[in-house]
Amino acid sequence: MTQFAIILAFAFVTPAFFVAGFLLASIPIIIHILNRRRYKTVQWAAMEFLLRAMKKNRRRLKFEQWLLLATRCAVLFLVATALARPLACRQSTLASIAGARSGLHVIVIDNSYSMAYQADRPDAATHFERAKQLAKELIGTFQAGGEAVAIVTASRPASAVLSPATYDMTAALGAVDRIEQSYGGTDLAGALRAAKEIIDHEKTLGERHLYLITDGTRSAWDNTDAAALKQLAVDLSQKVVITHFNLGKPNQWNEAALAVKPAGNLVSTRLNNDLSATVQSFGQGPDALLQWKLDGATLPGGGQVRFSGEPMTLTQAGASFKTGGAHVISAELIGQDRLKIDNTRWRVLDVAAEMKVLIVEGERGINRLGGSGAFLDLALAPPTETSGDNPNAAAKSDSYVAPEVVSDLELGNKVLNDYRCVILAGVGQLTAAQADQLALFVKQGGGLIIFMGEPVIADNYNQVLLPRGLMPGPLTKRVSAAGGDQNGFLFDFKPHASLHPLLSLFAGEEKTGLDTAQVFTYWQMDLKPDAKVERVLDYLTPSDAAATTRPAGRGEARDPAITLHTLGQGHVITVTTTANAEWTTFPAKPSYVALMHELLAGSIGAGDRWMNLSAGDSLQVPRNLKLSAAPTMVDPTEKEVVLEPLPAGGPMAYRSGPLNRPGIYKLSTGVATLPIAVNVPPDEADVRTIDNGAIKKALGDVDVNLEGDSLPPAALVVNKAGNDFGWPIMLAAALLVASECFMAMRFGHYRRT
Amino acid sequence: MSEVQTDYRKYLDPRTLARISSLDLRARLIVEGLMTGMHRSPYQGASVEFAQHRPYVAGDDIRHVDWKVLGKTDRVYLKQYIEETNLHLICVVDASESMGYGTVGSSDGGSGAAWTKYDHATAIAASLSYMAIQQQDSVGLAVFDREMKKYLKPSNSPAQWKTITHELTLVPRLAKTGTGHVLDQLAEKLTHRSLIVILSDFFDDLAGIQQGLRHLRYKKHEMMVFQVLDPMEIEFPFEDVTLFKGLEQSGELLTEPRALREGYLEQLRQFTDELKKMCRGMHVDFTRMNSGEALDVSLSNFLAARSASMK
Repeated sequence: MTQFAIILAFAFVTPAFFVAGFLLASIPIIIHILNRRRYKTVQWAAMEFLLRAMKKNRRRLKFEQWLLLATRCAVLFLVATALARPLACRQSTLASIAGARSGLHVIVIDNSYSMAYQADRPDAATHFERAKQLAKELIGTFQAGGEAVAIVTASRPASAVLSPATYDMTAALGAVDRIEQSYGGTDLAGALRAAKEIIDHEKTLGERHLYLITDGTRSAWDNTDAAALKQLAVDLSQKVVITHFNLGKPNQWNEAALAVKPAGNLVSTRLNNDLSATVQSFGQGPDALLQWKLDGATLPGGGQVRFSGEPMTLTQAGASFKTGGAHVISAELIGQDRLKIDNTRWRVLDVAAEMKVLIVEGERGINRLGGSGAFLDLALAPPTETSGDNPNAAAKSDSYVAPEVVSDLELGNKVLNDYRCVILAGVGQLTAAQADQLALFVKQGGGLIIFMGEPVIADNYNQVLLPRGLMPGPLTKRVSAAGGDQNGFLFDFKPHASLHPLLSLFAGEEKTGLDTAQVFTYWQMDLKPDAKVERVLDYLTPSDAAATTRPAGRGEARDPAITLHTLGQGHVITVTTTANAEWTTFPAKPSYVALMHELLAGSIGAGDRWMNLSAGDSLQVPRNLKLSAAPTMVDPTEKEVVLEPLPAGGPMAYRSGPLNRPGIYKLSTGVATLPIAVNVPPDEADVRTIDNGAIKKALGDVDVNLEGDSLPPAALVVNKAGNDFGWPIMLAAALLVASECFMAMRFGHYRRT
Repeated sequence: MSEVQTDYRKYLDPRTLARISSLDLRARLIVEGLMTGMHRSPYQGASVEFAQHRPYVAGDDIRHVDWKVLGKTDRVYLKQYIEETNLHLICVVDASESMGYGTVGSSDGGSGAAWTKYDHATAIAASLSYMAIQQQDSVGLAVFDREMKKYLKPSNSPAQWKTITHELTLVPRLAKTGTGHVLDQLAEKLTHRSLIVILSDFFDDLAGIQQGLRHLRYKKHEMMVFQVLDPMEIEFPFEDVTLFKGLEQSGELLTEPRALREGYLEQLRQFTDELKKMCRGMHVDFTRMNSGEALDVSLSNFLAARSASMK
């Protein structure tokens, strides 16, 4: 009974043909019935012989007729069944009779950067080349016409290079040949998603297999997509047989420069800027040399690196830039590892020669320090000397910041893209158009700092700025210290406690004034617990202030003094008190100037972020970039890269396709030529492999065939399951046709010509 | 000469004859066509010609004793002669319903009616009668179906041939066949030793036929049997599903003829073989005639065989 059930375990590639087979099988019966109704009448003399012949042969004739009829029905039914291509769903003796197999094979080839590792020795074949060879060997075991192949690459972004599945094995081999080594990261989850789409689409094919060919590195299997990968594997395991080929070798090692960046947010021509490089050796490798370069010229300060196995940060101190604009710095490890490209990491820095800041005052004073932004102006660009006895005269400054103070009435006339940061100092209210301008400015990477003040109308802020994401929360009420009390609110600042990065400058510093500055009035803000707002500094509550010993931790009940939140590519810093001495004594404190610079540095986004990309990313040219013509770009080999214009209204003006080749691209804006750095993803440098158990776990502990770097002998054995019975049945139909012809001639049922 | 021959021979084709409505004209054409191709007539007419001696046995007529041989050898021998009297030819024609079956000429697009087995039989009968009367022999006619429908006594009068052809034209075909019974009747009627030519399809009871033939043979008549069959009956070439409606009320059958062909032909062959065997057993000449074939072939074969047997 069991064997019977197995024999009947069929599926059909095209079930419609099978259904049609029943209809086709009825055709001979219909013809037979019609023929019995359509006859001609003949007057016949020799009736006696006819009747005698009929009497003698009646049973034989009937048997022959039924046999022929059944044969004809069977022929049509079998032809339709053969076209329906029945497949054996299980291993069975019957299935092995069918010569041709049917099924879907989806091959996922990891072509990420780590696959460029030369496996066995320097200059040997890379994992990627081996993966392609393995894929070809796999395809060689498939049967053209019966089995279909689809191919997906796992380099980010994962893509189906051969989809829908093809029965043409030559085309499949060609597709494998056309896959190129990528320098991007691994997107196994994306690859499985693409494979799942193909598998879901090809529902009618028989036995389905998914082959993953990867190097089994940690970067591929243990990343942020682990949960999605696990879920996809669980889903797929219910539909396909999963096989993983692990090309990784146990003792792989690689040295890489993982990051290069300036020590601070601001890089200016007027500062000596510290640069840092993070390097690491993954696996046991020899020492290497680090070499710094600025715009291609070697900088002093490199040297030998002794790897410890952990990430190491090396600093290039005091780098100076003679001109502003985009510069390329690079850190290069000169070693003997087998992945060379990640040994160099480029970074494009937008060096500020002069940082323009727009200070918008809500109150203009009659003297130099009377305006609500006057202290800010002085703090950001302290004068080097006073001009005579007139304290109101304009002062010269050697600060890298160039503040421009305007009233709130002039805000609408300003082109915000000319500034790196806008500071609202006690501005009473803003129109919706001004708020829209500000929101777009911040989203494109600009900085916004908001100070409160007497003119501030909370309802306007809550209705205009809050919905546009320019405020961290609604202003609820104005809080003032008790009347006549000379003790205001204090900042919750403890120099030896954990501080927000914006305050890191004051860490461990006593007598900065931050802890003694008094705030007499501030606007209370309601910050939602789930709001993505960083509290930079809070106020101490009166009870805290009264206590002799301040509590160690920050209570949620405390009102925020300074907050930081992100909007698009820019940041918004909100200070709930004034920027001048109207509500606080802080401007008189020594830390005021430093804090204002830190807030300014913290508010501006990295303006060069869009110029530093990972392989596989697309370049998006911001709309605020000055263009005098349509931009053009060439890759490191001087090959032109197409830039497509984006619809107006968005923050980006142009976009390229994925930039796969690491190196320095050149973007011509008509005004200048900007370098664009494309680096391999740092996580791809980790070529250390994980074992098969970890891979199985990463796939959600589903059933998976774990193989090495070659086809197991079992894979070359003809697979009985999924065999296509189409041809054997067609052959049987042909034999039946021959039998029918023979029987028809033998029985005298054929028409003589 | 060859033109004349060709001109006559075309009238031997049943398809041509089917277009000629007059039976006497048909017969003339057949015979003229036939004779044109012969060197001598197979019938020599009346003559007194010594045949052989045989020993005398008790009961022999002493008028035939050859006295010269007795005188010389002292042995008694009788002289035997070829019969001196004129030939009495009796044409027995089956006019039953089954003889009305015919397909020759019906499917060739011709305007004439189909050439039936009866047409074929009457054409042979008329032709033989014509030839016999031309040679001063007496010719009689018997037409039958279930019963003897018509009987004409043998006569060598030239008007006899006209009467025979007229009668052959008139006889209707409606009834079943009763061959054996009719042959019995004929045997009783004939007083003179005759050459009896029976033209029929013999779709009848073989036992009855045998009894009738035996009766005639007992009366010392020479007999020739012509079984006339239509080509369709011989070949049975039907393809599609066909409803066969039997003549002579023999029922009907809806069948696929291709499947039944072999069985049918086997039955027909068996019947014909039995009939032939029966005839040979009684020293009766048997000839199967295809109504689709030219008549001269059949008649020539018959006359040749007849001539050989008379020698």
